[in-house]
Amino acid sequence: MPQAAPNTEKLDEHLLEVVRALHGAVKQGVSHANDPKVMDNAIKDCKEILDEILAGNVKEWLN
Amino acid sequence: MFTDKIELKDIDKMDPEYRELLGHVLTIQADCEIGGPHLYVEKMLPAAPTKLDQLIIARTAAEEVDHFRKVARVAGDIGVDVSFVLSQPNEKRFVETFRGVITTWEDNAVFGFLIDRVGRYQLEEFYDCSYLPLQRILPDIVTEELGHIEYGYNKTLELIKSGDQGKEKAQKAVDFWYVRALDMFGRSGSKRSERYRYWGLKRRTNEQARQDYINEVNPILTKMGLKVPDPNKGRRYH
Repeated sequence: MPQAAPNTEKLDEHLLEVVRALHGAVKQGVSHANDPKVMDNAIKDCKEILDEILAGNVKEWLN
Repeated sequence: MFTDKIELKDIDKMDPEYRELLGHVLTIQADCEIGGPHLYVEKMLPAAPTKLDQLIIARTAAEEVDHFRKVARVAGDIGVDVSFVLSQPNEKRFVETFRGVITTWEDNAVFGFLIDRVGRYQLEEFYDCSYLPLQRILPDIVTEELGHIEYGYNKTLELIKSGDQGKEKAQKAVDFWYVRALDMFGRSGSKRSERYRYWGLKRRTNEQARQDYINEVNPILTKMGLKVPDPNKGRRYH
């Protein structure tokens, strides 16, 4: 078997958690389409999660 | 032509050129997957016209992050670390289309309609490819890309139907993204593209894939009431 790149498993696990959290927040917002407050909170949660991912501080995530 | 099917356990036995090409194409694919959210999340998540659209943008970004994760896993397993693209500034993206920021809703809509469609074409290149772990991640990714394309198409159509001003905005965005979409297929007659085909990593030449895209997109644009842009104006690669 080839040698995997360092942190392959850890990065995969971290990103999977992030994706699940994002989908959870989106689902929460979409399922309360008549409640602007819940939708706003869901959007805020999504923005916070995405800002962290897009900042790309990979070393921080994995430590 | 190489016709074998390769599993992860076989990769060390493969020709260095095969491993180099596979690593390269996975790195570019990973960069394109994460390059999308880097283009539209910052300005469009807060500025989308409705709360539902904001959430759909977040869901689209979540799916692209997941596509990155899947591609990064396939690359990581063969020893290719693509995590550097997560912190790469937009201007360093491998594909020029991703070097910028989307600031208008019409650009966001047309990006989904035209550029995510190129993404689908790129992924379809790997259908029945020689590297089985790559082939296995495709169905879910392509299904989600189809959703992004449909959303982009619907939002573009909404703009067109909103009146002359909306149609003008949509046309301007199409004029901008169409040539970039065509450039994304790369140079015609590319030697690297020939090697990808030799090793069974891609199905079509760059020019074949580009022509297939043109044949698909032009009738859609016409049906939407938009003009098909000059395919040569502003192109970088032919």
